[in-house]
Amino acid sequence: MRNYLKLLHMEIHRFRYILFALIGLTALVQMCAIAFNAIGEVNKRNAYFEQTGRAPEEFFAAMSYTRAVQETQFWFAVPVGLSIAVLVIYAFLIWYRDWFGRSTFAYRLLSLPSERRNVYFAKLTAILTFVFVLIGFQLLLMPIGRAIFAMIAPADQLQPSYIADAIFANQVFKILLPRSFAEFFVNYGLGIISLLVLFASILLERSYRWLGIVYGLAYAGFCALLMVYPLLALGRNYSAGYFYTEEAYAIQMAIDALIVVSSVWLGLHLLKKKVSV
Amino acid sequence: MIELKGVRKRYRGRYVLNGLSFTAEKGNITCLIGMNGAGKSTVMKAIMGLVPVKEGQILVNGKPRGRWIYEKISFVPDHLTMPLSMKMSEGLTFMADFYASWNAERAAELMRFFRLEPGEKIGNLSKGTAAKYNLVLGLAPNSDYVLMDEPFSGIDLFSREMIADVFSSDLIEERGVLLTTHEIGEVEHLIDKAVILQNGKAEMEFDCETMRSEEGKSIVDVMREVYSR
Repeated sequence: MRNYLKLLHMEIHRFRYILFALIGLTALVQMCAIAFNAIGEVNKRNAYFEQTGRAPEEFFAAMSYTRAVQETQFWFAVPVGLSIAVLVIYAFLIWYRDWFGRSTFAYRLLSLPSERRNVYFAKLTAILTFVFVLIGFQLLLMPIGRAIFAMIAPADQLQPSYIADAIFANQVFKILLPRSFAEFFVNYGLGIISLLVLFASILLERSYRWLGIVYGLAYAGFCALLMVYPLLALGRNYSAGYFYTEEAYAIQMAIDALIVVSSVWLGLHLLKKKVSV
Repeated sequence: MIELKGVRKRYRGRYVLNGLSFTAEKGNITCLIGMNGAGKSTVMKAIMGLVPVKEGQILVNGKPRGRWIYEKISFVPDHLTMPLSMKMSEGLTFMADFYASWNAERAAELMRFFRLEPGEKIGNLSKGTAAKYNLVLGLAPNSDYVLMDEPFSGIDLFSREMIADVFSSDLIEERGVLLTTHEIGEVEHLIDKAVILQNGKAEMEFDCETMRSEEGKSIVDVMREVYSR
């Protein structure tokens, strides 16, 4: 356990600058988007007042943070999309960076006097940690954005907003920050399964090289097919099918569990017995 | 003793190691000799479990390998194996964190001997300095055996002399060293035993001192004989 934690710390430490850059970029882009939106709204109201001499609230609805988030969702989505892209690329790099280049750290990692599974789980946990750090930071940014919005908007024209409403106003957040635990479980569960399948495929490639690419792609394809099979076979509307909804759900869960177990087993087996530098 | 018995390893359709058997004893410097592509580095990686072998047995102190061997055997490859973003001091801390056999005092002594600056980034090291740093990482642990893959490759004269000095020091005494090098001439006087690899097998395994005194042949002479057959 101690060795696993040390390796995890090292993996997080190695990614720290990229993580801080993503956090900084997310904060900068999203907060600027909110600030510019609020300033734009205030300017519109001032212009209306100057042109008509009438109070803006007669013509404009009260300024709402939820609406501001909705209107700026593209700028909210850009850093989120970039972070996702970086993390997907890093899911590959977290392995390959140790094999290629001037320094091949894989030599050292594979000859540590601790179980090799620690290396696997440290890399896996590191990626998940980055995901949840970014998600957590995104949640933290929402009230900060609201505070910035409230500082710019005139108090008498500000309509209070709930953070939950603001989150739901953004299409991307509907997936990343779902309201129900079941949705959260499904969305992140799918993400984690995909990561496990990717790790198994990478380790197949690292074990069998050119042939491993074929094995890796075949394994990933097979898992993808297996995952969508219940949807294809049973349809999306379970209640209209042969199985009860609970049964269809159980089938899907069993398939997912099978993929998780087989991917982890395969990854650990390859790392212990087959992988080469 | 490190013992290889009938080890076979296939790479790109051919057997790089094809029934290789030899031993490397504690207290001896054993040199693996072979042409380019003879499989010298593969032997080292196979001993360290860094490449899987198809057949055969690799025993360390009479027992099959397990993760325990990493406390008993240090490997000094011909390139860096620490992240380039680390400082040398961080690399030493990493080793101390994971290896029970790590000897911090000896590491500090070696850093001083090679005149290495602990605060310098590993990524900024020249080839010669990197080789010295690799030796620090390989020799600091209280391991029984040290495997060295081309420790003199691409290194300037003065650095070579420093590294060669290590071979005759008490850092090596008592340990078993398995070495690959193309610079046989420079280390010939230090080598106790030579293993000549050809076609994936140990073509010849001999005690250098005996060969010199009884047949009057140097390692290079024996190599010429073997490769001209």
